[in-house]
Amino acid sequence: MKLPYFPGCTLYTRARGLDHSTRAALAALGIELEELPNWTCCGTAFPLAQDSYIGMVAAARILDSAAQHNGRLVTVCSFCYHVLKRVNHSIKNNAEARRKLNDYLEQGYGGETVPVHPLEILKHDVGFEALRARARGRLKGLKVACYYGCLLVRPAAEMAFDDPENPTIMEEFAAALGVEPVHFPYKTACCGSYQVLNAYDVVASRGREILAAAAAHGAQVLITSCPLCQFNLDWLQGRGEGTVLPALPVLYFTQLLGTALELPAEGLGFESHYVDPRPLLLG
Amino acid sequence: MAEEKEMVSIYIMGKQYRVPYGVTIMKAMEYAGYRFIRGCGCRGGFCGACGTVYRKPGDFRLKVGLACQTVVEDGMHLTQIPFYPANKATYNLEELTPTLATLLRHYPEMTRCLGCNSCTRICPQELQVMDYMAAAQRGDIAKAAHMSFDCLMCGLCASRCPAEIVQYNVALLARRLYGRHVAPRAEHLARRVEEIKAGKFDAEIERLMKMDRLELQKLYDARDIEP
Amino acid sequence: MYTPEMLESIKIVEQTRPRRLKETFPRLTPEEKDRLLRSFHPDHMPDAQRPVRVGPNKGDKMPHEHVGLLESRSMLDPDAFSLDRVDYDVDVLVIGGGGAGTSAALMAQEAGASVLLATKLRHGDANTMMAQGGIQAADKENDSPAIHYLDVMGGGGFSNIPELVAALVLDAPLCIQWLESLGCMFSKFPDGTMNTIHGGGTSRKRMHFAHDYTGAEIMRTLRDEARNRGIPVLEFSPAVELLTDEHGQCAGAVLFNLETQQYLVVRARTVIIATGGCGRLHIGGFPTTNHYGATADGLVMAYRAGAKLIFLEATQFHPTGVAFPEQILGQLVTEKVRGLGAQLVNAEGEQFVYPLETRDAVSSAIIRECRERGKGITTPSGRQGVWLDSPMIDIIHGKGTIERELPAMVRQYRRFNIDMTQQPILVYPTLHYQNGGILINERAETGVPNLYVAGEASGGVHGRNRLMGNSLLDIIVFGRRAGTNAAARAKTVQLGRLTLDHVRRFHEELAREGLLGQRTAPILLPDYRGRIV
Repeated sequence: MKLPYFPGCTLYTRARGLDHSTRAALAALGIELEELPNWTCCGTAFPLAQDSYIGMVAAARILDSAAQHNGRLVTVCSFCYHVLKRVNHSIKNNAEARRKLNDYLEQGYGGETVPVHPLEILKHDVGFEALRARARGRLKGLKVACYYGCLLVRPAAEMAFDDPENPTIMEEFAAALGVEPVHFPYKTACCGSYQVLNAYDVVASRGREILAAAAAHGAQVLITSCPLCQFNLDWLQGRGEGTVLPALPVLYFTQLLGTALELPAEGLGFESHYVDPRPLLLG
Repeated sequence: MAEEKEMVSIYIMGKQYRVPYGVTIMKAMEYAGYRFIRGCGCRGGFCGACGTVYRKPGDFRLKVGLACQTVVEDGMHLTQIPFYPANKATYNLEELTPTLATLLRHYPEMTRCLGCNSCTRICPQELQVMDYMAAAQRGDIAKAAHMSFDCLMCGLCASRCPAEIVQYNVALLARRLYGRHVAPRAEHLARRVEEIKAGKFDAEIERLMKMDRLELQKLYDARDIEP
Repeated sequence: MYTPEMLESIKIVEQTRPRRLKETFPRLTPEEKDRLLRSFHPDHMPDAQRPVRVGPNKGDKMPHEHVGLLESRSMLDPDAFSLDRVDYDVDVLVIGGGGAGTSAALMAQEAGASVLLATKLRHGDANTMMAQGGIQAADKENDSPAIHYLDVMGGGGFSNIPELVAALVLDAPLCIQWLESLGCMFSKFPDGTMNTIHGGGTSRKRMHFAHDYTGAEIMRTLRDEARNRGIPVLEFSPAVELLTDEHGQCAGAVLFNLETQQYLVVRARTVIIATGGCGRLHIGGFPTTNHYGATADGLVMAYRAGAKLIFLEATQFHPTGVAFPEQILGQLVTEKVRGLGAQLVNAEGEQFVYPLETRDAVSSAIIRECRERGKGITTPSGRQGVWLDSPMIDIIHGKGTIERELPAMVRQYRRFNIDMTQQPILVYPTLHYQNGGILINERAETGVPNLYVAGEASGGVHGRNRLMGNSLLDIIVFGRRAGTNAAARAKTVQLGRLTLDHVRRFHEELAREGLLGQRTAPILLPDYRGRIV
C-alpha cells in the first residue's frame, strides 16, 4: 500500500530519527510512504485567535495538495498532525474559515483529505494482532512508558484520536510488540513545549516530574511521537539535570517498532540521542 | 510605423500614452518618450532590472512582469519597481556549513513564512518560490538551490511577502552553499590545475606561439575533432 | 503565434527532419569559408566602414558607428572643468560592473589595494549576465591547453596575439576552479565531473555551463562575493573621461552621476577599464543581443588618453538571433541549441551549413541563404530568417532535454506562445560581440601607463573572431590579471597633478582635422525615444 506522506520540517533536521524510523518500519510492514513532491511548514502552532486564518493557510494548502492523491495523508510529528487535523476540522465545519482559506488556495478545497497518524495505521490497517505476529519478542519484558503529551489527544473534539484523559492506543501498540507498557499518571501531561526557548525552568521542572513518574512505575524507556517532547526530555537528561538514575532513554515509538521488527539499527537514527538507548535495546 | 488603428492606450504611472499594439512594455515606454536610467538592464529577460507592476481594466488583481518581456495591452496601468531595499546578509562563504543553522543565522526572518504563496504567484520566472523557501526552511539546501536556479533576482517576491522575507537572497546563499560545500568537486579540474602550475604544458604552448600562420593553419586543419 | 504561412513552412521542415537526423552537412573547406566571409559577412559589405581621422589609430578602417564616436568631443570642457576637489582617492578604480570589472575588483582588493568600482547601471547589469552558452577550459583528460590554443587561433583566423591566447588557455582551468570555489553551480555529473559540450569551432567538448544561465550564475556569484567583501560600488555613475597627470600617466577618472547629473572626480593610482562592448551602437543597423549599456564608452575614453585599438573592423554577428517574434527581435538564441544537435534549415527544409562552423561563417551562410539564394522565410514585418530545428534535440537526446538544458530559451519563447520543444524557431544574425578593442598585453596593460583593460573592451585575444565560451573565460582571466597587476603597480605609482591635458590635445587634433563639432562621446546610453527598437 502506498500513502502520501507529509514529513514536516523538523523531521528533515533535528528529528531525522523519527522520519527514518517511520519510513523504514512502515515499509517493513508493506506500507510505502510517498513524500508530497512539494510541501511547506505546517505552521507549527494552531492559531489560538479564532479569526486568524492566515496562520492556517499553509496547512490548508498541504491538505489541498494531498487531496489529489488519495484521501489520506500520513504525518507522524505530533505538532504537524495536530495542526493538519485541526485546520482540516475548521475547513470542514466552519464555512467562514473554508471561504477565507480558499481565497488563498490555487484550487477549491473542502476538507476531503484525512490526516492520519501512523499509530492509527498500525491499529486499523496493519492490525495489532498482525503486528504481534511480526514482532518476534526481541524486546520481551522491556518496560515502556507511553507518553502522549498534549498535542496528540487535545482538544478531543477536533483531534478525535483517543480518550483525552486516558488514551490507550500507544499501550496497545506496545503490548503488540511484546513489551510491557507501564501506566503512569503523567502520560498526557505537557512537557513544557516551546517554553524551552524562553523559560527553561518550566521545561526542566515538568520534565523531571514526568521522568520521575515513569521511572517510579518501573519504566526502562519512554516513547513518544513528538519531536519536541523527545528533545525536552532527552536533552534535560543530557545536561545532567534529570533526577532519574539510570537515565531514561526517550525514544520515538517508531524506533521501538523498528527495533522490534529487527531492522538495522543504523537506519533508525539513534545517533543523535543524548541518552543513548542502544545498550538497553540492542544489548 | 504602426497605423493609428494598431495603437493601444496605456497608463504609465497614471498618465495616458498611445503606443503601438503588440510591443513590450519597455519598448512602449521608450516610444512614449522615456529614456531609461533605472528599470532597464539587459533587455533580454536575464538581469531582473525591469520588474513592473500592472493592472488590466476590470480586474482588481495586480500583475507583474518584466518590462522587456511583457507585451502591452489596451488600458494597462503600470509602474516599474526598479529597486527594492532588500536585506542582504554578508558572510564568508568558505567558513560556512551547508546547514539550516547557517541559513537561519543569516536570515532568521525566513521562519516567518506564512505559506501564503504570494511569492510564487508573482514570480515572472514562474518559479515555485514558496516551495524552494520551504525546502530552505527545513535545511534542504540542494533542493532550494536547484529549484531557485533560474531566479533573476528582480525582487518582486520580496515586494509582496507579508513576512518580509527576501527570498532571492536566501536562495542565493543556498546556491552558493550548494556549489561550494555540497556539490562534489571536479577532480579532473583539480588535476589539470596542478599540471598547469607544474608547467606541464608550457613548452608545447611556447612551441605553438613561435609558429607562423601557415604552420598553425596546417595543424589546425589537421586537428582531430571529438565526436 | 506563427502565421499560417510560417506554419506551412514548418510542415516542410518536419517532413525532411527524419532524413536530416541521419545527415551531417559537410564542413567548409578553408577556401570556401574564406570566399563565404568575403562575400556575405557584414564586415565586408561595401560602405560599412571608413578610416578614423584622428588619434592613435589614424587611418585605420572601422565601422562608421565607431568612427563617429572616436571623432566626437568630450562631455567635459578641459579648460573649464575643475579638478580641484577630489571626491574619491583610491589605489584602483575599476570602471564597469560586469564580470570582468567585478573579478578585477575582487582580486585587487585581495592584493591589498583600496578599490572603487564605478558602473553605469546596476552592479551586474552587463553582457556577462546574458551569456547563456558556457565557458571554455581544457580540463578533461582528452584535452589540453595546447589544443584549446589551436582552436582559439583558428577561430580568430590566426590573427590573435599569441601571448594573450597563451594566458587565456593556461589560466582557464584556474579560473573555473576559482568560480567553483566561490560556489558557482556548474552543471556536473553526480561524481563531480563537469558536464561539458562542444561549441562552434571547438575540437574538444570543453564548454562548461550552468543550464543556460551560465553568465547569470557567474555574475550573481561574483557580485555577491563583492558585496560580502564590502567592495565600494557606485552605481548609475559611469566614467565619462579618464584623468592623466602631467607625465601622461593615467591618474583616475571623472564619473557622472546619472541621477543627480553631478560630476565626481576620482584620483586613482591605477585604472581598469571593464566597460564591455558596443552592441547598442547598432553597427550596420543590426539589432543586438547586448545589454542596454553596451555603448563602447571605454574605447572612447582610452583612445583620447592615447591607447591603441585593435581589430575594431571585426564585429561578431551571432548567427542565431531571434527573427520572430518581433517583440524579442535580435535577442540571443544560444549556440548551445546547435551544440545539442539542432540544425539550421532553409525554406525548403534543407540544411545549408554545418551548424557548428565558427560564428562568422554561420552568420554569413544564413545571410547568403536569405539574400542571394532567396531561401529565407519571411516574417509578417518583412524580415527574413531561417529555421533552427530545435525539436531535433529531444529526438536525439530524449524527451525533456530541451526543458532541462535550455530553460531560459524555452521560457523566452513560451512567453510569446511558441513551444520550441515542438516547433522550430526562426533566426537571423544579430550584433553580438566586439571582437577587438583596446590593445592590451598579457598583463592587461595598455600603452598608457597605469591604465588596464579587461574583457570585451579589450582587443587582441580573440583576433578577428571569438569562439563561443571564450568571452566568459576572457572576462575572468583578464579581469583577474588586471586586478592583481593593477593592485601591485598601485603600490609604487607616483602620481603628479590631475589634468585633462590629453582631452585638450585631442580636441586640438579634432579642430585641426575640422572635426570639432557638437557631438559628444561617450554616449552612455542609446536613445530610443519615440521609436520602437
